[in-house]
Amino acid sequence: MTSRLTINRTRATKVFLSAFLILIAAIAVYAFLILKHDPSFVDLNERLLPMSWQHPFGTDHLGRDMLTRILLGFQLTVGYGFLALLLAVAIGVPIGVIAGFKGGLVDRLLMRVADAFLAFPDTVVAIVLSGLLGAGIENLLLAIILVKWVNYARLARSTVVTERQKDYITMAKINGLSEWRIMWKHLFPHLIGHILVLASLDLGKIILLISSLSYIGLGAQPPAPEWGAMLNEARPYFQTVPALMIYPGLAIVTVVLLSNLLGDYLRDKFDVKKEVAE
Amino acid sequence: MTLLSVQNLTVQAGEVPLVKGISFDVQKGEWLAIIGQSGSGKSVSASAIGRLLAPNLKAQGKALYNGKDILQFGAKEMRRLRGTSISYIFQDYQGSFTSFHTIGRHFEEFLKAHFKLSKAQRREMAEQALESVGLQPEMYTRYPFQLSGGQLQRSSIALALLTKPDLVIADEPTAALDSISAAKVLRLLADLQQKTGCAMLFITHDLRHVRKHADQIIVMKEGEIVEKGDKQSVLDQPQHAYTRSLMAASPSLSAASQLLKGDDTSCVYCN
Ligand SMILES: Nc1ncnc2c1ncn2[C@@H]1O[C@H](COP(=O)(O)OP(=O)(O)O)[C@@H](O)[C@H]1O
Ligand SMILES: [Mg+2]
Repeated sequence: MTSRLTINRTRATKVFLSAFLILIAAIAVYAFLILKHDPSFVDLNERLLPMSWQHPFGTDHLGRDMLTRILLGFQLTVGYGFLALLLAVAIGVPIGVIAGFKGGLVDRLLMRVADAFLAFPDTVVAIVLSGLLGAGIENLLLAIILVKWVNYARLARSTVVTERQKDYITMAKINGLSEWRIMWKHLFPHLIGHILVLASLDLGKIILLISSLSYIGLGAQPPAPEWGAMLNEARPYFQTVPALMIYPGLAIVTVVLLSNLLGDYLRDKFDVKKEVAE
Repeated sequence: MTLLSVQNLTVQAGEVPLVKGISFDVQKGEWLAIIGQSGSGKSVSASAIGRLLAPNLKAQGKALYNGKDILQFGAKEMRRLRGTSISYIFQDYQGSFTSFHTIGRHFEEFLKAHFKLSKAQRREMAEQALESVGLQPEMYTRYPFQLSGGQLQRSSIALALLTKPDLVIADEPTAALDSISAAKVLRLLADLQQKTGCAMLFITHDLRHVRKHADQIIVMKEGEIVEKGDKQSVLDQPQHAYTRSLMAASPSLSAASQLLKGDDTSCVYCN
């Protein structure tokens, strides 16, 4: 009974995910191939237009096409989120693997550094760093990487510490393989599943962080079509043209939701609930 | 001639002694069995000899291999020793292979680490090794999960004997197999030992495995050796009460070895 329910749920998630991807792709094709708007083209004669075939989501306070900006915002927000995530993984995982595999002093040193980073909440570090380094999407990315690598280092380390005890590692040692080889060829494949799950759950959080910091003016700067920044720009028109805030808001919610669904799906697939919960 | 001489070996977890000063010798080409119920420190002793202890365990004493103390070896010497002179076979054959790599890749990596051979030579050597334990060469391209338990354990034996080591340490290699596969693997090990002339340090909790093949027997209890001697004297006139209780607990000839008694050697390797 339970197993049938799980299967149905996973399948529903799959259908849901693919439907959304197709929808987004269709809208993007329509906007970029048929409408061909310039996202930063200002036309004050066309300010705050309602929906039409020409401007499916209307235009904003400077007469720019909303749909084009939302879609380009996807590229910006999700793209940067992805980049930050990738770099955090690329930094965190090797550190964690080395700490876990070497043990001893190296391990303690690396993990104390990680603890220090972990002691501050993400948002606070990001705000402080953006404040210190100056507002801008690059500095925001740097802040996010600094905050996030720790999670990957810890996950990699704890996985390595449990795997290290197993016979195949002992066997590889007995067979005289180099430590480097054991780490990357034998241990690493066991890590990928865990990392993937954590990463897809993190993607949503990072996107939210980028958007919220851009909203308060610390991330992407106008006229960049970043969703958080767009929300901020639309604030004065909140009462007259609420659509200007609804579209970027919906976009953020959708993407975060999708990345969480993807994370859940991967988690079920790799069944690593415990490690992620820790 | 003494191949390995363990002298006053102690292993501690912090302050807790797990192995309490054991001493024994392994002669060239002999089959030495260590028996004792689980938890008596057999595996820990064997790991200490190969410097494979968990990081929280510390070994003291000596393990002289051809007169040189393994416990004092540097990383490089250790790698050479493990690759070419001492090899291990474990109980958990499933866990002995990296699940993402084919059986062949394990052989390939091993040979690459120790020999200067061409790719074709390595492949040929690996396939010969697989055949020598009664497996088809096709197993080379299979993944661990595609093999049965007996086949996997055979592969790990092939891998362990690949470089013709002088000493094979087998830590309960048959404990996770069904009794028929276990009896076959045991006979395979005995055959290969005869052929290659390696010494065997065979760890088991099961007296049945000792009766047939062992030359010498060591009985361990709570980290100490309570009795040692040649097979006949230990089995026929056990001195220690613990040995007698082990013998009482072990059933006589099992159905499996009864079954195997009649069949010819050509079928020993079939699965
Ligand atoms: N890494 C470890 N840390 C602490 N105690 C251990 C460790 N490994 C084994 N032990 C303990 O050492 C004792 C002997 O274990 P072992 O040598 O595995 O027994 P066996 O004779 O069954 O092979 C057991 O009591 C076990 O709990
Ligand atoms: Mg054991």
